[in-house]
Amino acid sequence: MINIDAILPQVFNGIQFGVLMALLATGLSLIFGMLGIINFAHGSLYMLGAYFVWTCVQMLDLPGNFWLGLVLTLPLMAVVGLVLERFLLHRMYGQPVVYQILITFGLLLVIQQGVALIYGTTPLPLGMPPSFEGEISLGLFRYPVYRLFTMVLGLAIISAVWFFIERSALGAIIRASAEDPETAKTLGINTRTVYTWTFALGSALAGLGGGLHAPLIGGLQHPIGTEILLICFIVVVIGGMGSIRGALLGGIILGVVRGLAGVFWAPASDFVMFAAMGIILMVRPQGLLGREATR
Amino acid sequence: MKKALEGSRKRFFAELFPAIIMAAILVPIYFILPSKMMASEILIMAIPTLAFILLLGYTGLLNFGTGSLFAVGAYTAGILLARHNVHVLLAIIAGVVMSGIISIIMGYFCIKRGGLIFALLTLAFNQLIWFIIWQWKSFTGGPDGIWGIKREALNLGIFSINLKPTFNFYIFVLIFFILIFFFLRRLIESPFGKVLMGMRESELRATAIGYNPETYKWIAFIIGGLICGLGGTLFALHQEYVGEHLANWFTSGEFVIMALLGGTFVLPGALIGSGVFIFLADFLNRFAVLSKAGAWLLVLGAIFIVVVMFLRGGIYGGVEKAYELFRRK
Repeated sequence: MINIDAILPQVFNGIQFGVLMALLATGLSLIFGMLGIINFAHGSLYMLGAYFVWTCVQMLDLPGNFWLGLVLTLPLMAVVGLVLERFLLHRMYGQPVVYQILITFGLLLVIQQGVALIYGTTPLPLGMPPSFEGEISLGLFRYPVYRLFTMVLGLAIISAVWFFIERSALGAIIRASAEDPETAKTLGINTRTVYTWTFALGSALAGLGGGLHAPLIGGLQHPIGTEILLICFIVVVIGGMGSIRGALLGGIILGVVRGLAGVFWAPASDFVMFAAMGIILMVRPQGLLGREATR
Repeated sequence: MKKALEGSRKRFFAELFPAIIMAAILVPIYFILPSKMMASEILIMAIPTLAFILLLGYTGLLNFGTGSLFAVGAYTAGILLARHNVHVLLAIIAGVVMSGIISIIMGYFCIKRGGLIFALLTLAFNQLIWFIIWQWKSFTGGPDGIWGIKREALNLGIFSINLKPTFNFYIFVLIFFILIFFFLRRLIESPFGKVLMGMRESELRATAIGYNPETYKWIAFIIGGLICGLGGTLFALHQEYVGEHLANWFTSGEFVIMALLGGTFVLPGALIGSGVFIFLADFLNRFAVLSKAGAWLLVLGAIFIVVVMFLRGGIYGGVEKAYELFRRK
């Protein structure tokens, strides 16, 4: 008999993991929904974020080095995104999806192996940030502070991004550029710039997700990006391509299912993720809250 | 009936001549290559790449599941050879059949959608199979893989050939490669192949004429799966070891790279691609800086990006274009 005390923390862990994946999936989904680009290198951007935070902690001998690194990943990864979009990916707009997958797959190889070349292949451990090491009582059980923090921050950022895209004036410009580029252009919107910045935003979210996740991974290794990429795809497929709320819903569903499967039979936790994706694709190919890609 | 036989005989001889030429070119290549192991490996890796090209180049489906079907063939043959000591040919047939069965199931779910969804589904299936291989330690050896595969005498009743020497094994692989290559060549020229290509261009039009795209895609997927399985069984014999990394999606990615490098729209592209890939891997790994941490993949990735951006037809397409420019002048 499995008691509730064992299940509840697992479910909570699942939700926490799911929110973090939803944060990454939001970036992936944004890029897909607005630019129509399916980005296989998204996981690599996540990995870059994690390695950047690690480097900050190692290099800077300051009290708040982890947090500084985390904040700095945002502009840094945005710049990486800007460069990628400007020099490479903008050529892929409107191309067959197969070539987008192929080119971003090439990018994944280059980034991943580049990191392996610089940082080596041995796992690089990153401890919890100071004063976030302990546990906090949540009534029924005690829960690690840092995990709780990532959950709250993740939810806040996803909500902020959703509000920005769906409710703000700038968001309206982004949506307009995605839905009807011709009309947007005649209204004086520079769609080229809009696409570039949207890609940068998506990249920054990936980097931030990597930085946030880094202390929980145990040891950083260069293939972490590809593992996370697969999970992100599953989240996006479950929730619906191009939908931010869908990414959050997909992430939480995936996290809970994964956590619960882990309680009963640990090796099944990865299996159920793929099974969930397969079922959703069969029954509702556009995902739970999906809308078709607009471009 | 007689006429049909006559026709098939004619076709057979029409293929026999280029097959002999191909063999005549490929046999001496064995002696040119720097490492003798490399020769068989190039041919073996070209076999699943052929399957990948059938799907992407002729049917328009980007398959990220090649690696897992390859691994299914390799594991089936490997387990049979290492633990049950079966006949080599029987192990090969079993591997092919097993991959066929898996690809029937996989294909059924994957071919319902084209484009992105197909790619993601095959990727998910690929990881599922990898995951099963990784977890099922008692049967597949898990992370340790299958050891003790022996490449010994191939007993054909009247006579027997020792497959241990690399040259003998190379010829053994070459026979399979040429058979598959010319089978696919015929398949593409056949009405079935024409339907596949028609669907690649416009699925709507193919449906309007009365073809069921799903059935055709499914059959193409299964044929691809059988071929991948064959490649896998030969690979198990080649390495005398099978590891779980074969099933990982990075192996699928390697076949993707090979096909794109060589040329996605023509069958010889598979051979060119796998040749260039393996040669490049060998060459780049000679530099100490690059062999560390698999950084040669970085160079390969960069080349791959350039190919996808500027040379969609791969090396084959590039040479073709250059030749045409030259002739026009």
